[in-house]
Amino acid sequence: MHSFTHCVRPPSPLQETLGERRIALTVTLAFVLFGVAWVFASDVVLYAASDDKVLIARIETAKGWAFVGISALFLYLVTLRSAAHLARTRAATRAVVESIGDGLLLLGRDRSIKYVNPAAARMLGCGDAHELVGMGAQEFSRRFRVSHLNGALVPPEHYVSQRVFEEGGPLMYTEILHPPGKPEFVASVTAAAVRDGVGEPPELVVSVIHDVTVTEHLEQLRNQFLSAAAHSLKTPIAVIKANAQLLARREEASSRKSALAIERQCDRIDRLVQNLLVFSRTRSRTLELHPQEEALAPLAERVAQAMNRVSPRHEVRAELLAAPRAHVDRERLGIALSNLVEEALRASQPDSQVAVLVSQQGADAELGVRYRPLAPAELAALASNESNVDLGVVRDVTATIAEAHGGSVEVENRGAETILLLRLPAIAGAA
Amino acid sequence: MTETKEVLVVDDDPDMAETMVEVLRDAGYSARSAGDGKQALEAVEMHMPSLILLDVLMPVMDGWQCAREVRKRYGRDLPIVVVTAAEDVRARAEPMDVNEVLPKPFELDDLLRAVERYAPLG
Repeated sequence: MHSFTHCVRPPSPLQETLGERRIALTVTLAFVLFGVAWVFASDVVLYAASDDKVLIARIETAKGWAFVGISALFLYLVTLRSAAHLARTRAATRAVVESIGDGLLLLGRDRSIKYVNPAAARMLGCGDAHELVGMGAQEFSRRFRVSHLNGALVPPEHYVSQRVFEEGGPLMYTEILHPPGKPEFVASVTAAAVRDGVGEPPELVVSVIHDVTVTEHLEQLRNQFLSAAAHSLKTPIAVIKANAQLLARREEASSRKSALAIERQCDRIDRLVQNLLVFSRTRSRTLELHPQEEALAPLAERVAQAMNRVSPRHEVRAELLAAPRAHVDRERLGIALSNLVEEALRASQPDSQVAVLVSQQGADAELGVRYRPLAPAELAALASNESNVDLGVVRDVTATIAEAHGGSVEVENRGAETILLLRLPAIAGAA
Repeated sequence: MTETKEVLVVDDDPDMAETMVEVLRDAGYSARSAGDGKQALEAVEMHMPSLILLDVLMPVMDGWQCAREVRKRYGRDLPIVVVTAAEDVRARAEPMDVNEVLPKPFELDDLLRAVERYAPLG
């Protein structure tokens, strides 16, 4: 019985080719050895047994016919065995393909569908899989209206099963399919090309459709909840913060200290809420920036001023080395810069300064946060501290915001100091 | 004698509205509040303020409808500063022709600076 479960690692194409050649060589060698042995041995026996030339000639003819007969039998057995093996493999492959829950489409060199497994036919609402055979991308698009998650139609030439003919692969995306007469479903689709050799055009494209509707729905619910919860928290924070500020203005020194502590904690919750909002927007692919031309120095000053309240043991100040302007979403970039300052405050030596830098390097505007880091052992302890697990989300959000602006976040160690650097394209000639 | 400026605070959260009114009164403004866009329009009808601080997400009539109506009735003579916790509000505010957007939570200084810009005390 054939088993697919014992294969720990599938053979590489090179191993497969070598294996096939070895089998062919073994069969040919066996045939040659048998032939040589037959001719040699039968001749020796024949010449030892008789001197009669006529008899020898007749027996040699018979020997030749016998050789042809035995060879034909040998070829028949080898071919039968190979054909049976091939049929078993084909049946096993078909059984595997037809039993898998994911939809499978095979496309030929002309980019039309050549094979559809029963799962794909079910997903696409086709009673007979053969309905789809021969269908091209245009017709598929007309019939199943493939759209992005935001509802925009995917042009047929952008299907992964079409792009993979040019781009290689495997390629993957998530899309919505709208089978006629059936509910739409969200599918994660992958496509990979089967080629005879490197650089050769694909002989076949294998496209797998995985229904992720339930997962996607749960993910959306989770993100909506996260977004709604974060949003709902903003108003109470605003009320508490405004009242704390009001108290700090009105009351005497002792109450003022408590009011400032309330304000600090409000700011902390607010930063967390803003990060959660961006995080949930990113996860649900609904993060949108609203960039406007902005001067970065005032933004850095505002962030430095706000973050100076966060830690009583640090001084946060702005250091303006240039005055670049950039197209940025002010609020989102403010979150990213505040995140860098927060990370610096956690990772810096107590009673030290944290500088928020604004500079320009060539075409890039740079927003940096410079600080004196803790000792390596203390930094390692910081990383393993449970109260800092939010740093993972914070870093992710910072990187997302930087990338959404066409920029990046880097860490530079300069002597005893570390600089967290957010680079983004500057507006030319503005510095 | 300094001229008293009146600011209308429109917010459906009574705590938020009351806090802003207090802050403004402390700063020397005359301030009153409305709980939704409809109440705000009635309040403006009765007595024209120097500035409206307008929340967006409110029942009955939301901030955007209210802003549109104010612009229709009074043009740009009556400044509007949107004070909101709503996301991506700057982009939505652009076609509404409001004077400024202040996201919640805000610093009191930022609120007072915005108010001073559009309703300076004499």
